Amino acid sequence: MSKVETPTPNANGSAEFPTPYLGRTVRIVSKFENVDMNQSPHPKNQRGELGKPLFNWYHNTVSKDPLTRVSAPNHFADRRHFLSTVVNQAAKGKINPQKVPVNDPAAMARHIKAVAHYMGADIVRIAKAHPSYLYASGGGRYVQDGTAKDEYAASTPEQMARKFPYIIMATTAWDYNKLQAHRHLIGDAAYHISQIKGNMILKALEGYIKELGYTALRGVAVPQAVGVASGVGELGRNGLVISKEYGARVHMPDPIMTDLPLVGDEPIDIGVDDFCKVCRKCANTCPTNSIPVGDKVVHNGVEKYKINWLTCYKLRPYVHDHWGSCLTCATVCPYTKPKTWWHNMATTSLHYCPYVLRPVLVKFLKWVDDRFWGLVRNARVTWLGYDSGVKPGEHACTVAGCNASHEKAGAKAVAGSVGYYAPLKENTNRFVKREP
Amino acid sequence: MALKFPWSGKNSHKDDPFWEFFINTPPADLTNTVTELIRNAPAGNIFPNKAELHTPEITSSHVKGMAQYFGTEMIGIAKLDANVPSNPDQLPFAVLCAVHADYDPRQAKGIGGQMPVQNGLFITFVLSAWIRELGFRAVVARDANVDALAAKAGLGTLNGSGRLVTREFGAGVYVADAIYTDLPLAADG
Repeated sequence: MSKVETPTPNANGSAEFPTPYLGRTVRIVSKFENVDMNQSPHPKNQRGELGKPLFNWYHNTVSKDPLTRVSAPNHFADRRHFLSTVVNQAAKGKINPQKVPVNDPAAMARHIKAVAHYMGADIVRIAKAHPSYLYASGGGRYVQDGTAKDEYAASTPEQMARKFPYIIMATTAWDYNKLQAHRHLIGDAAYHISQIKGNMILKALEGYIKELGYTALRGVAVPQAVGVASGVGELGRNGLVISKEYGARVHMPDPIMTDLPLVGDEPIDIGVDDFCKVCRKCANTCPTNSIPVGDKVVHNGVEKYKINWLTCYKLRPYVHDHWGSCLTCATVCPYTKPKTWWHNMATTSLHYCPYVLRPVLVKFLKWVDDRFWGLVRNARVTWLGYDSGVKPGEHACTVAGCNASHEKAGAKAVAGSVGYYAPLKENTNRFVKREP
Repeated sequence: MALKFPWSGKNSHKDDPFWEFFINTPPADLTNTVTELIRNAPAGNIFPNKAELHTPEITSSHVKGMAQYFGTEMIGIAKLDANVPSNPDQLPFAVLCAVHADYDPRQAKGIGGQMPVQNGLFITFVLSAWIRELGFRAVVARDANVDALAAKAGLGTLNGSGRLVTREFGAGVYVADAIYTDLPLAADG
């Protein structure tokens, strides 16, 4: 059994809110400033601060793919077809004046988890609120419906954490088989459909907490922080929260902050810290070299691996014709596996392995992963009319038994089991150089 | 957590003191439910360029595969009469999706009891939006005879009180709103 690490002696904490223990992958080490949501990538891009190609990609492009037009957060032809718009822009319901009394917070915590699972969530965990998990006050918070009506806008993170002591993270996982065709429309489907489903579940859960007679706030907590603090997973080199059951193939959606009496969960240890020290699969395959190969750094008082979000983001307009979401770092992560007994065995053995022996176990598990899964993924995946064996930009009907006459088909028939994932690493090295 | 055997059936949530509230207490404010807001959301435009389709049989299998990925547990396509009053747009097909229902949503009015409705609305919303993006018409409508349509589409048979009974779920099944469409499909019945 692993020994328990003590949190850093108080860097940013107070007597009331001591510096939280976030697991072995993330540590708050010095003065930390709450994040202003308006300075994060999408809002920056919405204001045009990232240049014209990205601005136009975000606002003025319509996808060629019908499913992307329905399920992606932009690039639709008609916004009304996108379920998250419908769900997030809806009027907010009232809190039920008849409170359901909660005598046993543990029973309520079990109940909320059962409810979220019943609604279709894959991982549900609860974090004890801490000011450092929250966005900055004074308009720094992300308001879902765009009306910027935030009752608690003026409250400091400390006041918020006092008033609403729990944060619920309910998340959905991406389909494993479709994800294997990342950098392809099939991978997009894995990502986007589970995303809109997750948004609907969170809205329903938020409404249910209000029906119980308690407050449910959205857009106030940083998803990654809550994900790590509640033990959904540990923070990997790729900047993603890596979970036990699904690896990196889970969404980190906007969590729910509430005053419902609950019991907080603890961070987990599945050996991500030990694995990321050795593995570097995501850093080596990232098409834009946005993931560090080096050690952790201290950024805004937090010790973690720091990805370069700007170069990651900048790839998007270049590939818009072929796919929407890259997902490479999530796909190649050795933790991203189907929910099977052998995957459970690997993560469980990492959990129980003593720290000194972990590098050996990690090297063995990585060897197994390289041997059986591969260093990169280029398997051919077909799903409905989609086929990752067709080169981007070409048209070919590969549906078995189809004798319809296709206008655009004309490309030669596709053979073999190799999938084509644009762009190749060699092509992107040209415009995003790895830092020396 | 109670020990659970594979043969002990579905989780009855007997040890959960709040489960009854979740299933049976109707919401005080309907704005707190997702079902209302999805049902009342207006339909979007039909994409001006029609997508290239394969044969009707393949298109049917793609529609079914897509709906299954959205979470439907049963799906069938019914051929419609053009002259019935429930079909004023005279669309040739109805796509019927069904999900299992642990509790009958007609009696269980809580947010949990309405979960089959919520799941059904998710499927019909995204599926109909996708059909419109393919360039074809798709109208989601809740008819009284949706169970009869589902029986016609081969999902099961009707019992004495006109409710659908299926092989997989018995009467514990909820038929989502029918999607009427002119997408060229191969009907199941």
